[in-house]
Amino acid sequence: MQSDRPNPAFYPLLAALIFMAVGPIVLMLANSFKLDVDIISGTSGLFFLPTIQNYETALCDVLWYEPEHLDFCQFKFGGAFINSIIIALVSTALTLVLGCMAAYALVRFRFMGRDAASFTTLMVRMVPPAVLLVPVFGLWNNDFCIGKRTWLGELIRDSFGGRGDVCLEGTHSGIILIYVAMNLPFVIWILQSFIVQVPRSLEEAARVDGAGPFQVFFQIVLPLIKPGLAAAAIFTFRIAWNEYLLASALSDRDTKTVPILIVNNVSEFNIEWGVIMATGMLLAIPPIIFTLFASRQIITGMTAGAVKG
Amino acid sequence: MSKIRLENLTKRYGVVEVLHGINLDMAPDEFTVLVGPSGCGKSTTLRMIAGLESVSSGEIYVDDTPVSHLDPKDRDLAMVFQDYALYPHMDVARNISFALRLQKRPKAEIAAKVREVADLVGLTDFLSRKPGELSGGQRQRVAMARALAKDSSIFLFDEPLSNLDAKLRGQMRAELALMSQRVRKNMIYVTHDQIEAMTLADRIVVMEGGHIQQQGTPEELFKRPANRFVAGFIGSPPMNFLNGTLTETPTGLAVQGDGFAITLPEWAGRDLASSASREITLGIRPSDLRFDPEAPEGAGFDLNVRVSEYIGAQSVLLCDCGSVSFTVEVKSETPIALGEKLRFGCQAEALHLFDKTSGQAVLNNKHP
Repeated sequence: MQSDRPNPAFYPLLAALIFMAVGPIVLMLANSFKLDVDIISGTSGLFFLPTIQNYETALCDVLWYEPEHLDFCQFKFGGAFINSIIIALVSTALTLVLGCMAAYALVRFRFMGRDAASFTTLMVRMVPPAVLLVPVFGLWNNDFCIGKRTWLGELIRDSFGGRGDVCLEGTHSGIILIYVAMNLPFVIWILQSFIVQVPRSLEEAARVDGAGPFQVFFQIVLPLIKPGLAAAAIFTFRIAWNEYLLASALSDRDTKTVPILIVNNVSEFNIEWGVIMATGMLLAIPPIIFTLFASRQIITGMTAGAVKG
Repeated sequence: MSKIRLENLTKRYGVVEVLHGINLDMAPDEFTVLVGPSGCGKSTTLRMIAGLESVSSGEIYVDDTPVSHLDPKDRDLAMVFQDYALYPHMDVARNISFALRLQKRPKAEIAAKVREVADLVGLTDFLSRKPGELSGGQRQRVAMARALAKDSSIFLFDEPLSNLDAKLRGQMRAELALMSQRVRKNMIYVTHDQIEAMTLADRIVVMEGGHIQQQGTPEELFKRPANRFVAGFIGSPPMNFLNGTLTETPTGLAVQGDGFAITLPEWAGRDLASSASREITLGIRPSDLRFDPEAPEGAGFDLNVRVSEYIGAQSVLLCDCGSVSFTVEVKSETPIALGEKLRFGCQAEALHLFDKTSGQAVLNNKHP
């Protein structure tokens, strides 16, 4: 007979899981309120004098006052944060727009090489980003450039300054482009499985009702795959937000993202643990907000009642 | 008010031809039912009229205008799907008004139309519900309302009742018949259920294997089936078929077979005199037989009653005639004992004769 009472071993297991999940965050939160001395001294624990000094250092370029303990604000969190937001949001939006259209085409249209295309999109995802790094770095620096002598190149140079050719390297677009390429296969793959579930007769009914192909897509299919779009958005945003390797190579001083900024804080002479922890906490906030917002769209049973049941 | 004409309509999937040159004329305001077993091409025909399937060859004319190259949205038709195909993210009112909103009609007009149609199908209280919160019958009504709201001249139904339970199906069938009388429009209805076909149709088109077997009014099809397939498909319980040979007897031409000998009436004998000793299939409907121990020689069957199915006023008897099974429908009061050999009489007018190999009717129950 099945008992409603869980096995006693369940509770320690649950506690262990919670500890593993929450532990690092608690540690990070606690350390972000400590001075570096307290962190390194090894007297770890919850007995310390909390300070917001780390947060002041991290946010020095956006604060309205000058923190007392700082002579010079060298840590440009605000700028990096805006870079991260731009890159993550734009690459997510682009990936979703391209992804849902590609997925729809792969599911619904019949054309030569459809299966091969569908399979290849997933295979591309299997290539580790590190493999892409070297060729992409070369292309972005040398090939995808607008010559400084062309009128467009001159226009850009005149407006934004700088010397040499205008290249993708070091621009937001360069990073966004590689993130879109990286995430697109997976998004296509996720959305395909959602689009397959949209009953074909719904699209046929819409066509008979007088909808053109784009109206069918935007008014019937898209609302029905909202949960899939939300899942794909969370996934894409998270990857774009956290990505380090490609961004470290492809960004420059003005376009670097928050993960790069944090690592730059580690120098030969000093590791500012407190600031790193504080930045880490701040870094975690946007994905949480984004996920909460997007996951509201994930309502199960969206297609309930569409067809016989 | 449109006239639909199909001319040599053919559908091929790759090398497989599933529709072989369908020719069909539908008069304005006619309720046409395409009926046939699964895979006979009836749904394909309907979807080609709707524009959801491409036409391989042949042409569809609406009011003498060829339409087969048009998109569904340009064909001025409304369709009710087998699985209802309601838009799950819209409430009932928005489902009904979807086509009107696409046409960018004025808001007030749309609201008035939705109310009118909802009233017609009895959905007024459910306009703000989502399809997921409705029962099967209500969803069916929404699907009908959505088609009605569109004000098209042609209505297509793709087995709209097949997902409902038996009781609801009967009720919806009656409502549909009522609706089709009120809204005089060209309706094309696909079903595999011959009862739906018989009750709703002005004209039935029986299809099988990608061919039209016969078309006509329900009565024509029931009384004068053109071939053995139509005879067996229309009517419930289905017609009995017995193989036999035409032979000359002193009393006239007769059909003789395993366990029976039926004399044909004189007028039929005249028609068939030249085809004596021909192999033939005799068809007779279960309802055309009567329990009659005194039935004369050559006008009755000796049947071995195996099972009696009581269905109220009538009973269906499953019998053996020689080695062939045979169904008889009799009044339930008829004194029947299982396992006995009983004699059932039949009128000569009730007989149907089909060619044994081709299945074509050679003699139909026609009164002289």
